[in-house]
Amino acid sequence: MTWMASAMHAAQAQLETATHNLANVGSDGFRRARATLTFTPAGLVAGEAPTATEGGIRETGRRFDLALLGPGAFTLDGGPARRGGGATTTRDGAFVRDRDGYLGDGSGHRLRGERGAIRVSPDATIDADGTIRDGGRIVDRLALPAGTTVRSGALESSNVDAIGETLAILTAQRSFETAQKTFVAIDEARDKAVNDVGRLK
Amino acid sequence: MYASASGMAAQQTNLEVIADNLANADVAGFKQMAARFVDVRVGGTLGLGTASTGRHAVFTQGKLMHGGGPFDVAIDGTGFFRVERDGQRAYTRNGAFARAADGSLRTADGWRLRDVTIPANALAVNVAPDGRVTMDTAERRGVALGRITLAAFPAPEALRSLGGTVFAATPDSGPEQRVTPGTNVHLAFGMLEQSNVSVIESMMEILTAQRAYEANAKGVQAADEMQRIANNLHRS
Repeated sequence: MTWMASAMHAAQAQLETATHNLANVGSDGFRRARATLTFTPAGLVAGEAPTATEGGIRETGRRFDLALLGPGAFTLDGGPARRGGGATTTRDGAFVRDRDGYLGDGSGHRLRGERGAIRVSPDATIDADGTIRDGGRIVDRLALPAGTTVRSGALESSNVDAIGETLAILTAQRSFETAQKTFVAIDEARDKAVNDVGRLK
Repeated sequence: MYASASGMAAQQTNLEVIADNLANADVAGFKQMAARFVDVRVGGTLGLGTASTGRHAVFTQGKLMHGGGPFDVAIDGTGFFRVERDGQRAYTRNGAFARAADGSLRTADGWRLRDVTIPANALAVNVAPDGRVTMDTAERRGVALGRITLAAFPAPEALRSLGGTVFAATPDSGPEQRVTPGTNVHLAFGMLEQSNVSVIESMMEILTAQRAYEANAKGVQAADEMQRIANNLHRS
């Protein structure tokens, strides 16, 4: 019976993974989480694992829209409150210049190159290897793993496939139902064993 | 369930933005808006769906085409016309000006070009690519009237839209920087800048957003159904 309860929990977790993925079908640079199931003595345990499939690359024509081709991520600082620390990574490369000329995500977090925050003019260019040039001068370089290139003027779309996630939702729902039916069946069998076996009519 | 609901809300925002873009596809100087979404996670594990981080204008150049009006000016390059209305200063790339009774050049919704006014005795007006405005009168040709200068911003994406094609400066966009046309930026007299909205692309985006909305609705339905089953567990 605890097994069936764990199966129902697992189905619910799978549903949460799928709905979270689906909600982010429009978030640039988002990577879907893959639902995992592990068998343990206590029952089924659902988890999430990251995926590395690249989303589609779409042209935007804006020079500070950057798409990464290959593994790796952009590094952002912690926002106005924590300029020095709190680095986070993202694959969403829609950067804009802020009023001080630094490249950032538009919400206050600045993009970091190998030398820290990147300050450029509106005419700066970003090469495929991550080198940032401004008026013929090399300003900084994006730290990228070997083999990864940057494409300026393009963005990486979310790698969520809406049809696949819808299927995952339906599957989770059916597994939940199956577990519930089995739960009830076991309960009825025990009911019989406890209350009816050995009863004298 | 809430993740799916946030997904539905996001797609709805997305649809509103696209519909607004489409509605303005024929407005000179209109800049396409884009909504951005990020995933929301708590403690690095629990996924809570998606949230919008706001919308911003996409300032790519629109195509220049011949305008029908006598004072049409288009900007070829970056920058905005400096306009004002009722004491409020704003910026636009819509150069479809008309001459008002007081000689000022105004857009259709009354924003006045701050640089020049056209006297009543002008027979013809010309704007040079470097922004110098001249007029011909009955007596003289090529009388100088001033020069149209443009405004640029360190972070134009942070400008606030005042509706349509007009924008206001914000602390995040930085202060206005004056740009004199002639070197990197040119003015094209008699031309208008078309909106940078692609109708075909917007239609495709609408279809995608609609499907995504439906898929998220399925998620809400499934979560609801599962909760119903769990609630009925004790008596089924």
